[in-house]
Amino acid sequence: MIRKLSLALPALVLVLALAAGAALAGTTRNQADPGVTETSILLGTTSPLSGSASAYASVARGANAYFEYVNSKGGVLGRKITNTIVDDAYNPAQTVQATRKLVEQDKVFAIFNALGTEHNEATREYLNAQKVPQLFAASGATKFGSEAAKYPYTIGFQPSYQAEGWVLGKYLARTQGAAKVAVIFQNDDYGKDLLNGLKKGIQRSKVRIVAAEPYEVTASDVQAQVAKLKASGANTFAVFATPKFAIQSYVYASRLNWKPKLTLANAVSSASNIMQLASEGGQNKVVNGSVSIVFLKDPTDPKWRNDAAMKLYRQVMSKFAPGANPNDVYHVYGMASAWTAVEALKKAGKNLTRAGLVKVVDAMNFSSNPFLLPGISLKTGPSDHFPIEQMLLQRWQKGSWKSFGGIWGYRAA
Amino acid sequence: MQQVVAGLASGSIYASLALALVLIHRATGVINFAQGEMATLSTYIAWSLTTNHGWNYWPAFAVTLVLSFVGGVGIHQGIIRPNEKGSVLRVVIVTIGLLILINGLIVMIWSGEVRAIQSPFPTRTVEIGGVAISIQDIGTIGVVLATVVVLWLLFQYTKIGLAMRAAAVNPAEARLVGVRVTWMLSLGWGLAAVLGAISGMLAAPSLFLDPNLMAALLIYAFAAAVLGGIDSPVGAVVGGLILGVGLNLLGTYVDFVGADLRLPGALLVILVVLLVKPSGLFGHREVKRV
Amino acid sequence: MSAASRRFAPLAAFLALAVVVLVLPSFVSAFRAQQFAYVAIYLVAIIGLNILTGYTGQISLGHGAFMAIGGYTTAILMADHGVKDIWTIPVAALVTGVVGFLFGIPALRLSGLYLALATFAIAVSMPAVIKRFEGFTGGGGGINLFGLPELTASLTPVEVLGQDLVFNDWLYYLCWTIALFGYVIAWLFLGGRTGLALRAVRDSETAAQSSGVSLPRYKTLAFGVSAAYAGVAGSLFAIATTFVNPDTFPVALSILLLVGVVVGGLGSLVGLIAGAIFIQFLPIWSQEVSKSPGAPSVVSGLILIALMFVLPMGVAGLVARLKSLTKR
Repeated sequence: MIRKLSLALPALVLVLALAAGAALAGTTRNQADPGVTETSILLGTTSPLSGSASAYASVARGANAYFEYVNSKGGVLGRKITNTIVDDAYNPAQTVQATRKLVEQDKVFAIFNALGTEHNEATREYLNAQKVPQLFAASGATKFGSEAAKYPYTIGFQPSYQAEGWVLGKYLARTQGAAKVAVIFQNDDYGKDLLNGLKKGIQRSKVRIVAAEPYEVTASDVQAQVAKLKASGANTFAVFATPKFAIQSYVYASRLNWKPKLTLANAVSSASNIMQLASEGGQNKVVNGSVSIVFLKDPTDPKWRNDAAMKLYRQVMSKFAPGANPNDVYHVYGMASAWTAVEALKKAGKNLTRAGLVKVVDAMNFSSNPFLLPGISLKTGPSDHFPIEQMLLQRWQKGSWKSFGGIWGYRAA
Repeated sequence: MQQVVAGLASGSIYASLALALVLIHRATGVINFAQGEMATLSTYIAWSLTTNHGWNYWPAFAVTLVLSFVGGVGIHQGIIRPNEKGSVLRVVIVTIGLLILINGLIVMIWSGEVRAIQSPFPTRTVEIGGVAISIQDIGTIGVVLATVVVLWLLFQYTKIGLAMRAAAVNPAEARLVGVRVTWMLSLGWGLAAVLGAISGMLAAPSLFLDPNLMAALLIYAFAAAVLGGIDSPVGAVVGGLILGVGLNLLGTYVDFVGADLRLPGALLVILVVLLVKPSGLFGHREVKRV
Repeated sequence: MSAASRRFAPLAAFLALAVVVLVLPSFVSAFRAQQFAYVAIYLVAIIGLNILTGYTGQISLGHGAFMAIGGYTTAILMADHGVKDIWTIPVAALVTGVVGFLFGIPALRLSGLYLALATFAIAVSMPAVIKRFEGFTGGGGGINLFGLPELTASLTPVEVLGQDLVFNDWLYYLCWTIALFGYVIAWLFLGGRTGLALRAVRDSETAAQSSGVSLPRYKTLAFGVSAAYAGVAGSLFAIATTFVNPDTFPVALSILLLVGVVVGGLGSLVGLIAGAIFIQFLPIWSQEVSKSPGAPSVVSGLILIALMFVLPMGVAGLVARLKSLTKR
C-alpha cells in the first residue's frame, strides 16, 4: 500500500521538493524596507512578453536598457538597480499572480512601469494595502492619476487618454467650425477614455460627433466599421485604435474612396513608422495632414538626429538591448519612464524607504526629461498623480510629423 | 452593398484557411489549432524575402509556398505521425503546443511590430454603381476561387489526388492496393500548409502583418469549415463566403448586435444551422457503427 | 494483492493526499501556498472537464467560459449584494450547472468537432457579451474584490479552528478543501451506475442506447455536472485573484484546461493533480529559461509537444505503467 501511495503521488512529491528548495533560497534580510540594500535596489515590472500584446514588451526592454546604463555609470547613489520583468501574457489574472510573486517572494522595493490599464487596476488595491509603490503605471487611464488621495502609492506617467482626447477636441472646436466627426474606437477603457475626452473638448462648440463605432481588440479587421463611418457623411475621422487597427482604418478609408477633410490620430499609434505604413508609400491621401498629440521624441524623426538625448538613446539600445529595433518608439517610452524613476530615486536619497519615495513622487518638479519633447515638464502634487500633463500637437506632412502651436496643458477634473 | 463586397473579400480569406483545416481534418481527423500560426509564419517568410532580401513578389511567393509545403510535410512526419496512436486528443494537444511554439518564435525573430507586406495587386479602387471595390479584393477572391478549382482538379483527375482520397477515407484498404498512406497524409499536411500560406499572403496586405494575423482568423475559418461541413472542401468555401457577408450584414443592420457582438451573433446563427443540419451544409453524416 | 487491499488502496491514497495537503503550508512560504491554491482551482475545473471529455467523450473548448460565469456570479454577489465570499460558491455552482445543463440540450444533436466548435463559440463570445452588459458586469474594467468586507481574509488574518490564517493560507485551505471534496463527489458519481452509463456513451453511443442507456439524460447530466465544477473553479478563481474582467477568462484558458486534462490523463482522476500542477506552473517555469519577448511561449510549446511524445497517455498512463512494472 505504501508503494501504491508513492506511485499515485510522484508528481506532487517532486513539486513539493522543488517548492521547498525555492522557499529556502533567496531570502534577503534587511532592517529597512524590502528590496533595498547599501548596494542595490530591486524593482519589478509586469509586461506582456507572450500573447497578443507582445509588441508592448518593448516598453520594459527600453526601461531595463536604461537601468543597465545607469548601473554601468555607478548606479543611483552607489546602488545598482535590478528590475525583474515577469510575463503576464496581458491577462490581468496573471498580472495579479505575478505582482504577488514580485512583492511576496522576490520582495521588490516597488512595482515599476507595469503595463496595461486593467492590469494596473487589478493590482492597485493590493499594492496600496501592502504599501508598495506602484510607480509610473504604463497606462493612460485617468484613474491612476486622479485618485491619489485614495491610492497614495499609485502614480501614472503619460498624459491621460482623456486629456489627449480633450486636446484634440479643443483643437477641432477652435479651428474646424461645424466639423462632423466619425470615431472608430477600441471597445475598452483606452478607446472610451479618448472618446470621452474628445466629447468634453468639443462641448459648447459647433463640432458634432455623428458616428462612433467600436471594435474588439480580438477582431481581425475593421473594414465593416470604416464602411459604416463613411456612410455617416462625416468630414472628420478620429482614429482611437491600437497600431494595427489604426493602419487598417486609414487604408480602408482610402480604399472606400472616403476623403475626410481631416483625420485625428492618437499617441499610442502615431509613431512615424506606423504612419508611414498607413500612408502606403505616400499613396494614401487620408493620412496627409493628420493631426495627433505627441510628448515623446520620435526615434525616426530626422530632427533629433543630433539631439544629445536621442544619441544616448541609440547608444544605450545598441549596448544594452542588442537585437531590439531602436526605431520602435515604445523603447523611448520605457527609457523616459526609467529616467524619471532614476531621478526620483536620487531625490529620495541615501536613506531610501517606500514612504520616502512616495513623498518624492508626490512633489515631483522636473523642468524637462531628455526623452520627452523640449518644454514638457513633469510636475505632481499630493492629489495630482499625473506626471505628464503637457503635450504638443503635430501634423503629418510629406512623410513626417511637424509639431505646431504651443504647449497644451490639461488638468484632470 | 458596400458591406456585401467587403464581406466577400474577407469571406474568401476565411474560406482559404477553412480549406486548409478541412484538408487536415480529412487527412488526420483532427482540427489543426496551429494552422493559423503556420500561415502567419509563412507570411513572415514572404515578408522577410521581399523586404529584407529585396526579392520580387512572385519569386518570393513561389519560394514561400515551397517552404510551406516542405514545412507541412515535415511537421506531419516529425511530430504529428509519432503521436497519432491513441486518443485523438493527443494530436490536438500537439497542435496546441505547436501554436504556442510558432507564435513565440515569430515574436522572437520578428518582434511584435506591425509590418506592411507588398500586395501582388494594385491598391487602386474602382467604383461601380456607387460601390467602391478595391482591385486587391477582386484579386483575393480570384486567387481563392482558382485555388479551389486546382484542388478540385487534383482530387478528381490525378492519380495522386485519388490516392490521397483513398488514404483519408480508408487507410487499411488503400494500403492493400499499394497506396503509401503515411506519405499521402503528409502530402495532405503539405497542401494544407500551402493553402494557409496563400491565405496569409492574401490577408496580410489588407489586414497588415503582425504575430496575431491568422490567430484571429482561425476562429472564423473554424466556424466556416464547420458551417460548410468539416469534410467538404466546397462547403468550406461556401461557408467562408456566407460567414464573411453574414458578419458584415449582421453588424450593420441588426442594431442590438452592432460591431462588438457580430462574431457571437454569427456563431449563434451557425449553431442554429448545425442544430438543423448537424453535419454542416455540405457534410456527410457519419455512419455509426457499434 | 488481496481484494480487500485493492479496494482500500484508493482510499488510503486519498487520505495520504489529504495529509500532504494539510501539512504542506508548514513547509513552504505563504506565497507558494497561494500558488498551490491555484493548483486546487485548476484541479476542480479539470475534474469537471474530465467528467465530460474523459468519461463521456465530449470535447469541450468552452470550460473557460463556464469558469467566467462562476467567477462573475461570485464577483457580482460579493460586490453588489454584500454576500460573503464562501456563500457565493454554491450559488456559482448552481448557476453554472443550470447553464451547462441547458447548453447540453442543443449540444445533444452535435458530436465530435461540431460540438467542439459549439463550445469554442461560447469561449470566444464570452468576453464580448460580458462587455455588452456593462451595468451588470463592470464592462472591460471589471470588478475589484480586494479589500471588500465580503472577502473573508484580505489583509488581516482570519481565525479558523483556533488558528490564525493569513490570506494566502486561508485561500490554500479553502481551495484544497473544496478540491478534495469535489474529488470525492466525482469519484462517487463516476464509480456507480452513472459512471458506467457515461463510459458506455463514450465508447459507443449506439451500443449504449441499445442497452437501455438514455443518451439525452446522461449527456445533459454530464454537461451540467461538468459545468458546475467549472463554475466552482471560476468562483474560487475570482476570490483568489480578487479581480475579474473579461480578459481574466480568455479563450486560452479553455484550451489550457483541455491541455491539463490530457496531460493528466484522460478518464483518470489520479493524473489530474499532475495536470493541474502542469498548467499552473508551465508559464512560470518557462519564463525562467529566458525572458526575451516570445521566448516563454517557445519554451512552453516545446515542453508541451515533448510531453506528448514521452507521456502519450498523460501522467495517469505513466502511473499505470509504473504499477505494472512493480507488480512483476
